[in-house]
Amino acid sequence: MIRFLLRRLPSVVFVLLTTTVIAFLLPRLAPGDPAAVAAGPEATQQQIAAIRAEMGLNRPLVEQYFDWLGGLLTGNLGESYQFHRPVSELIGARLGSTVELTVAATLIMIVAGVGVGVFGGSARSRLSRFTADATSTGMLAMPPFLAGLLLVILLGVTFRVLPISGEVAVLDDPVIGLQYLVLPAVALAVPMSGGIAMLVQSSMDNAWRQDYVDLAVAKGVGRRRITARHVVRNSLGPAVVAIGIRFGEMLAGAVVIEMIFARNGLGQLAVSSVQSADYNVVQVIIVGAVVIAVVVQLLTEIAMATLDPRVRLGV
Amino acid sequence: MTTDTETTSGAARRESGGAVRRYLAALRTPRGAIGAGLLGLLVLLAVLAPVLFPGGYDDQGDNALAGASGAHWMGTDELGRDIVARTIFGLRTDLTLLLTAVPASAVIGTLMGLAGVISRWLGAGMQRLLDVILGFPGIVLGMSVVLVLGTGWSALFVSILVIGLPLFGRQARAGLQVEQEREYVLAARVLGVRRRTVLTRHVLPNIVDPIVVNAAVYMVVAVFIEAGLSIVGLGIQPPIPSLGAMLNTGARYLEVHPAYVMGPGLVLLLLTLAFTLLSNALNKAVLRR
Repeated sequence: MIRFLLRRLPSVVFVLLTTTVIAFLLPRLAPGDPAAVAAGPEATQQQIAAIRAEMGLNRPLVEQYFDWLGGLLTGNLGESYQFHRPVSELIGARLGSTVELTVAATLIMIVAGVGVGVFGGSARSRLSRFTADATSTGMLAMPPFLAGLLLVILLGVTFRVLPISGEVAVLDDPVIGLQYLVLPAVALAVPMSGGIAMLVQSSMDNAWRQDYVDLAVAKGVGRRRITARHVVRNSLGPAVVAIGIRFGEMLAGAVVIEMIFARNGLGQLAVSSVQSADYNVVQVIIVGAVVIAVVVQLLTEIAMATLDPRVRLGV
Repeated sequence: MTTDTETTSGAARRESGGAVRRYLAALRTPRGAIGAGLLGLLVLLAVLAPVLFPGGYDDQGDNALAGASGAHWMGTDELGRDIVARTIFGLRTDLTLLLTAVPASAVIGTLMGLAGVISRWLGAGMQRLLDVILGFPGIVLGMSVVLVLGTGWSALFVSILVIGLPLFGRQARAGLQVEQEREYVLAARVLGVRRRTVLTRHVLPNIVDPIVVNAAVYMVVAVFIEAGLSIVGLGIQPPIPSLGAMLNTGARYLEVHPAYVMGPGLVLLLLTLAFTLLSNALNKAVLRR
């Protein structure tokens, strides 16, 4: 595994460094002067010039980049123009909410996706196959925001059984916190479980045609036992990869879901920062999102190799 | 030499004719037929929008947030504009965006994937570039684009184009690598057919299938990108309607006027359903080959 990580190191470092360059250049590509934005609408020319000097915008670009990168690596993330507070503090305050949401949604996605997939893959009657197909196609076509809006209308407005906006940290008060978490997490998980279900089902269909299944049938092993011990076990590999790959989509979906359910997470912070051109915050969020996506991708490859001995890391 | 190229081009033509026939066969399966029919209907509605709603999308009436009535089937929005009319014009915005940005992404992405033909270094460089794009979660990339270009049509177009590049680029490169090793390609090269001719006559027709399937799959993703960015307020801006932008404003009136989000929501669902069914049918037809 160490050899695998070493092999992948150059490309991972390349992706991350390029990302920091892109994030660094964004405010400079955008129209408008970052110093003027930071100074506010009523600043005089002298004030803007002072801020430009303070921000180091007069120095060579390369020097500015390495300064900024150094700050990023040492945890000195700068200050938000919008809130006039350190970026690290803003992100720290909202991280818990987003982590809560994505973890809950991932759990729901695994249970629902694998559940529907295994149901479809082991179904024999036409009706149950059709049900599984229709369920996964429907889930796949349903984007998180639409699932969210429908759930809000159904369970929050028509029947009023669950709260539809706001949040309470689960760790502070599990009972109330979970109530706030259910709808957003389900909305976020639904479309992704559709994809997982389809994948599990098609790899189960594939596994049923393998020789080892024929052998098990010939030996007189019961159908249920074949399904559980041979077919399902050999079909989960692709699903693990898909779950890992979808983690990025999950973060993206979280942004939208947080808006709909008025959860004060990183997505809200990202959107309001983009809207008010709060570059210091956006840059950190971009780099952070890419770091997480790349790390999850690596972990996925390792997990797949652990699950399936035929896959060798290092290829 | 001339006879050689004639026979090979004949083979290629049969090949692409077969591709069209395969896609048509896909449309005759239940999934394909429903998907194509649904999409055709939505495109027709979008095209006919100015005829169906002569008042346009911006015609303000007296009643804001009115319920359903004979004049306004799904009621009116916060400015008294007909929700059905705005939904159909929103669909028009979405379809225009999809049908320009997705093909652009497919063409540019495929060319990036095939860059290895020109030089090994260029090909590898393009793949590294695609790796970087792939590292960006879609909405984060969209936000970066909005930061530079500002909100609006062009930012959405560029976002959809760029986010799709790795999908098409990697597919094209993989296809190229497989096809380059095939006997008929080697045979053509041994016969002295020029590299460009080999590429356009033999390799391209054979990697068209996955590109078409991917484009259909990516249409769904592109709908989500438009809606996702618009719903958080970073996409199409008022007064122009788009499905996502309507969901953005409609979500504020969920408790008083649920039909407001149901109109655009339903159309959006039908749109993604149509593309999902189509891509499924195409995928099956291509795999069966």
